Amino acid sequence: MTDLNELNRRVSAAKAEVEARGETFYPGASRVHLASFPPKERWNDWVELDSKSWPNRVEKRYMLVPTTCFNCESACGLLAYVDRDTLQVRKFEGNPEHPGSRGRNCAKGPATINQITDPDRILYPLKRAGARGQGKWERVSWDEALDDIAARIRRAMEEERHEQVMYHVGRPGEDGYTTRMLAAWAVDGHNSHTNVCSSGARAGYHWWMGMDRPSPDFANAKVIVLVSSHLETGHYFNPHAQRIIEGKKGGAKLIVLDTRLSNTATHADHWLSPYPGSEASIFLAIANWMIQERKYDREFVRRWWNWQEYMEAVQGEQSATFERFEQVLRETYSEYTFEFAARESGLEEDVLREVAGVVSTAGTRLATHNWRSAGSGNLGGWQVARTLTLLNALLGALATEGGTFPNSWNKFTPKPPRLPHQRPRRWNEVLWPREYPLALMEMSFLMPHLMRDQDAYVDVYFTRVYNPVWTNPDGFSWIEMLTDESKIGLHIAQTPTWNETAYFADYVLPMGHASERHDLTSYEQYDGQFIGFRQPVLRTARERLGEQITDTRQVNPGEVWEENEFWIELTWRIDPDGSLGIRQFFESREHPGEKMTVDEYYGWIFDNSVPGLPEAAAAQGISPLEYMRRFGAFEVASKVGQVYEQAVSDSELEDVRVDEMGRVFTRAASPPSPKAPGGTKIDPDEEGRRRVGVRVDGEILRGWPTPSGKLEFWSRTLAEWGWPELAIPTYVKSHVHRDNLEDDQMPMITTFRVPVQIHTRSANSKWLDEIAHTNPLWIHPTDAARVGVEKTGDLVRVQTDIGYFVLKAWITEGIRPGVVACSHHMGRWKPEGQEGQRMGMMTVALDQQGSEWGLTPKQRGGPFSSSDPDTLRVWWTDVGVHQNLTHAVHPDPISGQHCWHQAVRVGPAQLGDSQGDVFVDTRESRAMYEKWLEMTRSADDYSPDGTRRPWWMLRPVRPERDAYKLPVKTEPATV
Amino acid sequence: MSQLSHAAPTEDRSDIPPTPPVELLRVLAVLAEPPSPEYARVAEAAGLGPAPTASEHGDVFLFQLYPYASVHVGAEGMMGGEARDRLAGFWRALGRTPPAEPDHLSALLALYASLWEEERPEAAHSAIMEQSRAALLDEHIAPWLPHYLARVQELAPGFYSGWAELLSRILAAEADRSGPADRLPLHLREAPGLPDPRRDGGDAFLAGLLAMVRSGVMITRADLASIAATLDLGLRAGERRYALASLLSQEPVGVLRAFAAEARRQGAMHELRTDRWGAGSEFLAARARTTAELLEQLAAEGFDPCEDPPSKSAARVGS
Repeated sequence: MTDLNELNRRVSAAKAEVEARGETFYPGASRVHLASFPPKERWNDWVELDSKSWPNRVEKRYMLVPTTCFNCESACGLLAYVDRDTLQVRKFEGNPEHPGSRGRNCAKGPATINQITDPDRILYPLKRAGARGQGKWERVSWDEALDDIAARIRRAMEEERHEQVMYHVGRPGEDGYTTRMLAAWAVDGHNSHTNVCSSGARAGYHWWMGMDRPSPDFANAKVIVLVSSHLETGHYFNPHAQRIIEGKKGGAKLIVLDTRLSNTATHADHWLSPYPGSEASIFLAIANWMIQERKYDREFVRRWWNWQEYMEAVQGEQSATFERFEQVLRETYSEYTFEFAARESGLEEDVLREVAGVVSTAGTRLATHNWRSAGSGNLGGWQVARTLTLLNALLGALATEGGTFPNSWNKFTPKPPRLPHQRPRRWNEVLWPREYPLALMEMSFLMPHLMRDQDAYVDVYFTRVYNPVWTNPDGFSWIEMLTDESKIGLHIAQTPTWNETAYFADYVLPMGHASERHDLTSYEQYDGQFIGFRQPVLRTARERLGEQITDTRQVNPGEVWEENEFWIELTWRIDPDGSLGIRQFFESREHPGEKMTVDEYYGWIFDNSVPGLPEAAAAQGISPLEYMRRFGAFEVASKVGQVYEQAVSDSELEDVRVDEMGRVFTRAASPPSPKAPGGTKIDPDEEGRRRVGVRVDGEILRGWPTPSGKLEFWSRTLAEWGWPELAIPTYVKSHVHRDNLEDDQMPMITTFRVPVQIHTRSANSKWLDEIAHTNPLWIHPTDAARVGVEKTGDLVRVQTDIGYFVLKAWITEGIRPGVVACSHHMGRWKPEGQEGQRMGMMTVALDQQGSEWGLTPKQRGGPFSSSDPDTLRVWWTDVGVHQNLTHAVHPDPISGQHCWHQAVRVGPAQLGDSQGDVFVDTRESRAMYEKWLEMTRSADDYSPDGTRRPWWMLRPVRPERDAYKLPVKTEPATV
Repeated sequence: MSQLSHAAPTEDRSDIPPTPPVELLRVLAVLAEPPSPEYARVAEAAGLGPAPTASEHGDVFLFQLYPYASVHVGAEGMMGGEARDRLAGFWRALGRTPPAEPDHLSALLALYASLWEEERPEAAHSAIMEQSRAALLDEHIAPWLPHYLARVQELAPGFYSGWAELLSRILAAEADRSGPADRLPLHLREAPGLPDPRRDGGDAFLAGLLAMVRSGVMITRADLASIAATLDLGLRAGERRYALASLLSQEPVGVLRAFAAEARRQGAMHELRTDRWGAGSEFLAARARTTAELLEQLAAEGFDPCEDPPSKSAARVGS
């Protein structure tokens, strides 16, 4: 009789052998493997029963083509099911080969099918036919649009007005392509949305580690601390959420700070609902307790904090011992008691003490994360991330298994072909004004005010899948700017679907959704590095069937075009003869004088810049490009580990010099790297040696990409650029701190997402809209009773500093008393007389009387007739309120982050109010801008070296070094 | 999940490996699914020889022996219903999302394999997993699967007979590992008995005969064909109940006697399993005995269950 265990060993060996070949041992989705997927060997011809033919058993044959979701920035892997009979995409499911998402998706991934079949999507290039914003459009050819745009850009370049070309991007959803293009154009016009998103927290991380994003190893953590709604709604939420749950399954304790009872809070072992803006006080109290009780990793702190630099610069002690530093540390943080944190946060001391005890048990397995939330809600929000990281830095839980990694070590952006050697020569002061020299990213949301202050002009303005009128605070000021042709010469909205900003464009150019465009992505989602590939799936499907596709428009709906080909074509039309020196970067290497194709661009990257991919492809007998088109993703590395502890190899040490801070400089050139250049820029020593590492206990180690090479507990940058009092992790009272509010004001939280929506990008998905289509005001029963709101559904008026909005109340105990909340999602609109999206959008009347603006809904949601019969089944009419219009700009004077929390007055709606009404006085918004501007410490007054910004700090499309110099004061500012 | 008590294992457990052959268990679970291109590779790894055809699979799992717990432990003798809901609840009690068919043989085996694989060394976790496995084995596998596999071995061609034999051995080892349950699961204790056609009508009686939890007998189309051949009756093609009614209408006494003999045969099979599987097998053996006695009594009386249609209220199965 066969021995069962022997048989089991044989079966296991057979499985291992098959999987080692990259194949799937078990059959596809079945009862046995509930999370399994169609085996990749059969992706080319996958058979399923046609659900619409039920109860008849009709087989459908599919070609499964991978791509990458283009909704949120998680960029999860998708598999497009291409019907082999019709060559149309029938559905999207998860790509099991994607290392980040591992085949799992949230609702937004499969909903891509709604977006590509949206009956109202923009299919052809449009040009305005009347006044800007009037709503009259005519269809034009791509050639006409390209020639017009290219001619303007060429003229700007010939006249050395490069900074008048601006590219304003929302979530980029790609790595490297566009920044390379802007570098090739030598245009300092990269304008990201990041300062209305994550800059606050990112600045906090940047000043600790030199890298600006956290990558927690949740799956292996012992304790997880979250300051955001990661499960369902947070950043990278799907890849993170699944690993948080894995961590919990492994016994990790989950601590969540969220004033609301969010999805994440419901999963917490310890849910803390602090008063908004007090989060840093909690982390400081935990840190203080760990310091006073000596529950920290002394050896890690001694080796890796820049404590010597701090002791010398701040305490004036040149040769202080570590023990002396510890004494100073205890004294410095002793004020942050649990009593202090309890007073600030409104939480009980015992709860805070218990949580501190849990954190202290994590050892090096403490995974923490802050993205938006408190980091982007509050004045000084960047200190939330900085004080949170203090806990990791005390425990040595950085880049350890179960700890928190910096993004750059868990991300891989490969080097592209024809890397531009040129940089912008002129500084764009609209984006990087001197008042905000330490702003992590562009001061994009201040653009209407800065344009006015500087009397600036932007000749060609691209809004690329971005909607500042709706997304940014103070949207009416944006409309005022966009409709002023003396400010914006030509506005091109690149968007797959209508949005509030596109109404005020000169050209609306249809761009592709997830299955209609090429992009390369890589995100820090676990301790590993991967690349994901987005591709026009019908192009790939047809090419597999033997067709030759030379232009993605041949397969996309209407004349929808992908951006890669668009930018190549536009660049060639800007510089048709190469005389401007920019065409060269988009010329074929294989066929000089011809345009580079997307196949060549990505093929070169996959051949030359992705370690391991050529070998993996060769094992399958295909090219690296074919590999990526077939599987959609590739893991470059896993278990990257503690890079800072790596010894610098002897080959990199030549004529070495070690300075007094232990920083090691070498004459050896940098070894070639397959990664795209980026990151911080550390100056060489006086004799031109580059910095290669730091000396720690006699060893030369790689260290951190900070000026000191260590973790910067104390930031010389902050100290020298005007903020010495905030140079260590400390507490900043928020603008919505109780001390800053009137008696009748409450803080309002606006930074949270609705789980199935993603800002304005997903609004044309009927499935998602059916699940979530409105944004009521969360209000606690005690507050509702106090302000006279009787029941859920009653209309309330919320008064901000510059206006008010009207919406329905949702009376719930899921929010802290004394605080209200309203998701920034929803409230989408189109002006009367405009074409546009009908799903999830109301039609409104815009009424301007001088600086006073009113928005009044004329028609809300509801059923409508279209080519999709489902649109007649829309049963909801409430599509929410556009509250961001009523938010004044609140730029943090240091990080540059817009501080989203609002101080509001809440009361019952007044006579004549209706759901969705908005009123704003832009004169008041201007006054608020000026009030916050007074908090800044300008480079003109505080720059320690005559530059606009610290050279070492991160910056997209970094200009030439000379452009960093402040203008001589007697000369007018460069604009 | 109920707390089941176990009698001490009756056999020497020294030959029981510390963990079951989990991957083999998963392979056998996969092989109960319709054949796919990967099937041959999996079958070969398990040493089961050439993979069966889709037709062979269909004959065993679609026409003879339905691989769903609900068919065999549900009072209706049909797929779904309360029995499936109970299984779905069990998945939820374990903190898992129940699959579309939580009572399918493959799903149950895969779940059992997972409960072994996911066990961590900490004592508390290990105890929870052990309790979960015992509950799954005793409450949801033991009441039907051992007998089901025995019937597959009797009826199926070579491949599936070998498959059933391997799986039976693994399950037997698992039963030995945990020892026989000495208390019935609640759903068996509450399972209604076989309706008496003289009181409840013919429809209810026929439905009860085909529900193993009521009759103790697992009847297949092949069994009905065998009775028809033995008695030289015409076998009507159709669902089992239709075919059985047709046989009874042709020669009620002979069919009742043949059915009684089958009940005694299967009852003996249950009895042979009681040492290993405990209370569940005893329960089925008793049910089969009661069924045989009733059928023999009806035959002796010359009662024709199909002749006297009962009232609708009395005919409701499971009422």
